Amino acid sequence: MATFVACPMCGFDFDRDDTLCSHGCPLGPVCRLIRCPSCDYEFSEIPRRYSWLSRLLGKKPEESSRLPPDVRPVTTLDPGTRAEVLCIGGQQGSRPNTLAVFGLVPETEITVVQLRPACVIRVGQTELALDREIAEEILVRETE
Amino acid sequence: MILVGNPNVGKSVLFRNLTSRYVTVSNYPGTTVEVVRARATYGGRTAEVIDTPGINDLTPRADDARVTLGLLDAHEDATIVQVADAKNLRRALLLTLQLAELRRPMVLVLNMLDELQEQGGHVDTERLSGILGVPVVTTIAPRNHGTDDLIGALARARVPRTPEQIGQQVPPPEAGVGRILPVARDATAQETPYDLNLARLELVKRIVGDTYTISPPPNPPARVRLGFWAMHPVKGLGFLAAVLLAVFWFVGLFGAGTLVDLLEIGGFEQRVSPAAIRAADAVFRFPHAHDSELISHTVGFPLSPAHELPVVNLDKVATRPAYVVPGDTRLNAWQETLRFLHDAFVGRYGMITMALSYALAIVLPIVTTFFFVFSILEDSGYFPRLAIMVNRGFRLMGLNGKAVLPMLLGLGCATMATMTTRILETRKERIVTTMLLALAVPCSAQLGVLLAMMAALSPAGALVWLGLVLGVLLLVGWLTARLFGGETSEFILEIPPMRRPQLSNVLVKTASRLDWYLREVIPIFVFGTGVLFLLDKLSLLSVIGRALQPLVTGWLGLPAEVSNAFLVGFLRRDFGAVYILDAVSGPAPLLTPHQILVAMVTITLFIPCFANFLMIGKEHGKKVAFTMAAFIFPFAFAVGGIVNLLGRMLGG
Repeated sequence: MATFVACPMCGFDFDRDDTLCSHGCPLGPVCRLIRCPSCDYEFSEIPRRYSWLSRLLGKKPEESSRLPPDVRPVTTLDPGTRAEVLCIGGQQGSRPNTLAVFGLVPETEITVVQLRPACVIRVGQTELALDREIAEEILVRETE
Repeated sequence: MILVGNPNVGKSVLFRNLTSRYVTVSNYPGTTVEVVRARATYGGRTAEVIDTPGINDLTPRADDARVTLGLLDAHEDATIVQVADAKNLRRALLLTLQLAELRRPMVLVLNMLDELQEQGGHVDTERLSGILGVPVVTTIAPRNHGTDDLIGALARARVPRTPEQIGQQVPPPEAGVGRILPVARDATAQETPYDLNLARLELVKRIVGDTYTISPPPNPPARVRLGFWAMHPVKGLGFLAAVLLAVFWFVGLFGAGTLVDLLEIGGFEQRVSPAAIRAADAVFRFPHAHDSELISHTVGFPLSPAHELPVVNLDKVATRPAYVVPGDTRLNAWQETLRFLHDAFVGRYGMITMALSYALAIVLPIVTTFFFVFSILEDSGYFPRLAIMVNRGFRLMGLNGKAVLPMLLGLGCATMATMTTRILETRKERIVTTMLLALAVPCSAQLGVLLAMMAALSPAGALVWLGLVLGVLLLVGWLTARLFGGETSEFILEIPPMRRPQLSNVLVKTASRLDWYLREVIPIFVFGTGVLFLLDKLSLLSVIGRALQPLVTGWLGLPAEVSNAFLVGFLRRDFGAVYILDAVSGPAPLLTPHQILVAMVTITLFIPCFANFLMIGKEHGKKVAFTMAAFIFPFAFAVGGIVNLLGRMLGG
């Protein structure tokens, strides 16, 4: 899932994966700074929780807060709901194509069949079982 | 003629209709793992028909497409027959557009027309044919409808229109719908297969919108609801329990109990053996006298492992293989030779009294009932739903739910199943599955024998066995996954619709598997019995028994007679299991329940049979095969010994 970062200098909202830092930078993971693509200000990411105690007791960061209210992961829908696919996730690797050959691409209408023990969705006449982790990255908008 | 298409659309059924050669047909994607060829004659012409494994994507980079693309390259003049699921036109047309880029004559077959109509769907085949520029025929393959149409259409096979031309045939995309990608782009450009497929799907959407309508009935039929139950988190477990119980009753109680008794006692002990003994006595004459005794046999309807509803009593006095030579006679060399031949046929380790009676009276009924019930489950479409249920658990072993398909096939025969591990995506998954198949998944005859032995145990003992085997499965799977490392692929599995199994297909499939099984089993049983017979005649059997004594009697706590079971177990695990069953059945069982449990666990985990060993070598290399055998053999005895010690400690 895309991680959105807001630049503390100019307030520009951008996708972490869209910066030069994650593509062409030779420093790679050694560097802990992010450069804002708008104003070129370099800043460090949100500091990591340094103790397991604070990880345990602290509040989990709200991940999907950046999404518009009607866009949500398929796993948050109730079984039987129909929805339109907006994004199928898995930007790296072969997963988008694997899903595409089953007909699961953006702008398709799907029906959620069940969520547990594995997520099952129906695309046209195909029923597809997916790992929960994959389903969490599929963003949809409820229809009807 | 090359049959190409998505998985589970019925290519193999169509292949059978075209060529009348049998290939395995099931209701789940990935049944055909190898390319099958046959010659067919139609319209006075002979042609080769090739059946291919199903593919979803013909992009050269996709793994499963390589086989098909290679075949298409090798047969440049062949007609491509694309088989499609009429209901699922969208996915079929994606493949059609990919095939169209090959610029070769093709025919599109819309199979499963009955299911489309049941779903309230309709395809305008003439319009579709007009758009694509290739003949389109509809078929219902299991009923052999439309095969003649297909043969007629072969002569009219055409090179399809190019994607651009197709684009001009259909209405333009609706205004304001998303981003529209240009359809045909330069293949050398930096285009991922995904981008290309996205563009194709855009075009497919327009074709489908013009030719295809579907309006599912509001109330789904009962078997659709059954399909939902089978993968429901709670009902699914109940469903699984019901399936297991049914299999246990049919294979364990009816097959391995009633039928085996009927054939072994009623058939062999009461009739075949006495007749064979009389015949042998007439041919090989030497002074001796056989015992006769009353063999009691009740045929009944099994209710539980311990109870059955007696139906008919078939007691009979029959001649037994055991005999005595009068004390005062000494046999001369000629008579000794005759005695040797006599014993080779009807002695304790005789071809008729042991090899054939084991193969035909014990293995045959078990394997028949097992394959029958397995084929029904296979055709119903239950297995992929089971994959959903076990996906979580399989994660622990570095596998995903898909691996359940080879494992279940392993219950039929581990050798066949080892070949099916090809459907798994990463090497780690293939190795782990092969290992577990070789170690802990009992094959059909063995499973039936084990189920029958379970009947001799208390329910608690049976549960201990099941728990142990599952525990070993998880532990070894986890360890192997750790050792081999590597990626576990993502779980993306297509769930076929639940279908009513067709009796004819179930019977044909059972028969073909039986045929294959018996061809393999009978020679091995005859060979193994021959080895035992010679060892016995040379008095080596007792020597080996004494040599194995520390292991079998000391460590496992089993009587010395059982060492023979492990000896023949080297040839086939089920041979060993049958031997043990022979020792526990009857009025005076050789083993106590505790010993049965130890023997069951050891023989379940015992080394893979020779055929499987060769198959592992073929699929994964000799090194892997030897490593697995070297691990499994000591491991089986170690676990058996631990069960023995624990059982003793607990006062079992």
